[in-house]
Amino acid sequence: MTSPLLELDGVTKRFGRVVIAEDLSLAVGTGDTVGIVGPNGAGKTSLFGLISGDLAPGGGEVRFAGRTVTKLDAAARCRLGIGRTYQVPRPFGDMTVFENLLVAAQQGGGLRRRASYTAAAAALERAGISGQANVPAERLGLLQRKRLELARALATQPTLLLLDEVAGGLTDPEVAQLVEIVRGVNAEGTAVIWIEHVVRALTPVVSRLICLTSGKFVGDGDPATVLADPAVREVFLGSEVTAALAGGAPEAPAAGPPDGAAGGERSEP
Amino acid sequence: MAWVNAIIQGVLTGGLYALFACGLSLMFGVMKVVNLAHGDLAVVAGYVAIGVITVTRIPVLWSFLIVVPVMALLGYVLQRTIIQSALDRSVLTTLIVTFGLSVVIENGLLQFFTANSRAIGTDLALVRDSFKVGSQIQIGYLLVVIFAVAVVVLLGLQYFLSASKYGRLIRAVADDREAAQLAGADYRHVFGIAAALAFGTVALAGISYGMYSQLQPTTGTDTILLFAFAAVVIGGLGSLWGTLLGGVVLGVAQQIGAQINISDEVLAGYIVFLAVLVLRPQGLTSRRTQS
Repeated sequence: MTSPLLELDGVTKRFGRVVIAEDLSLAVGTGDTVGIVGPNGAGKTSLFGLISGDLAPGGGEVRFAGRTVTKLDAAARCRLGIGRTYQVPRPFGDMTVFENLLVAAQQGGGLRRRASYTAAAAALERAGISGQANVPAERLGLLQRKRLELARALATQPTLLLLDEVAGGLTDPEVAQLVEIVRGVNAEGTAVIWIEHVVRALTPVVSRLICLTSGKFVGDGDPATVLADPAVREVFLGSEVTAALAGGAPEAPAAGPPDGAAGGERSEP
Repeated sequence: MAWVNAIIQGVLTGGLYALFACGLSLMFGVMKVVNLAHGDLAVVAGYVAIGVITVTRIPVLWSFLIVVPVMALLGYVLQRTIIQSALDRSVLTTLIVTFGLSVVIENGLLQFFTANSRAIGTDLALVRDSFKVGSQIQIGYLLVVIFAVAVVVLLGLQYFLSASKYGRLIRAVADDREAAQLAGADYRHVFGIAAALAFGTVALAGISYGMYSQLQPTTGTDTILLFAFAAVVIGGLGSLWGTLLGGVVLGVAQQIGAQINISDEVLAGYIVFLAVLVLRPQGLTSRRTQS
């Protein structure tokens, strides 16, 4: 048995009385694709924080690529191979798109000179923003920013890619393009953990779906089974997941009460 | 003609003030640290230069080659230790800590070197001599050289920040520390590098001032820090060229003030400083406020 790429072992985090992660254990193997769904405030982004090193856990252990990384900061974990995107893209605004990627390739990827330029160019190409290479990042629109965010994570040469709502606020064709990019990355052996409200973006890519609510996993398995799980359905009552479950397009009226029907379509601020 | 002379002298002194200011501006721009010990560190650099020159008897100008790297190293170490641990608590703590550092340095200097003023390289032709333009304008070589050094330093910093690997890294970390970490950048190390650069310019400023005028233990706060502040505020925070413009405006204001009445020299500079604070708080060149 080889040890998994990423392992969470009883990870716990609280902010005061708010439980962010309650004894979370999770194993993700090399090349795996895992989707994470859950209502707002379930602790999804915080889970990424715990994995990427933005947040220090209150208890438990995080292991990556065979070593314990609980005490390492985000930069060190990135250099080990954990790449992450933010839900709201955070490009280095007054730098060009290419410079953004160069920093990631040189620091996170540990690449030098030529190799770093090649890697940055590859990430640019892969994310489909080659045309914007020399544009200051602050001038990009939302879609391009999301792509840059993805490209910057890719430029760090990750073996585990954490995607935080990269599809939010995008149109269907845009989401489809993004799905293709992520698939391509995964096909080369990079494991992907993907948080997404837009479940239809997730299902074609992930082979495993986890539902997180109030800092706990309530479902974990292949997507169809998890979405059919009554406990998961209860969490998502009336939201897009139920619609996806019912087999309809997300735009179709949801099976449940209409209140949360617009769930995943809000654009981020 | 006296007015023309005042303006020329003011512009040239502005180069010195820009040297005072660029380290302060850099540290604020990158780590949001207002280093209240900035001026005292410049004075320390001056005293170290005096010590090095006295002990090793090397030519005065060679002392730059020793003191600048030593101060840069000190900058890296101070940043990674005292300043970083203050930063980890809050930005406000860095104010208190650097203020404390300032007090300690100043009193330490008083203790060891007394309150006597000291000058650097008074026997150098560069420091003593001047040339005449026309009959009334007399320009010291030293001020011209300092101005040129300031321009070269600012150009160099500008180039370093825009085109070098570490420069890009500094900009990335200054922009978004967390995002930079997720791009794999160890921001503490980058902060250290930025501090080393800043302290290197501080050393240049301190020795230059020691040659231009005289150093006393209190010069750091009562002259260098205050003029650096004024230049940064007038020019606009975080802009290197703004720093030069700020220095020049401050220098010209002082010289014009002195022209009106010799005792108004320093006051005139602060009046302009105050006017800019009130009328254009983002400084003359800053464009950051729109975004």
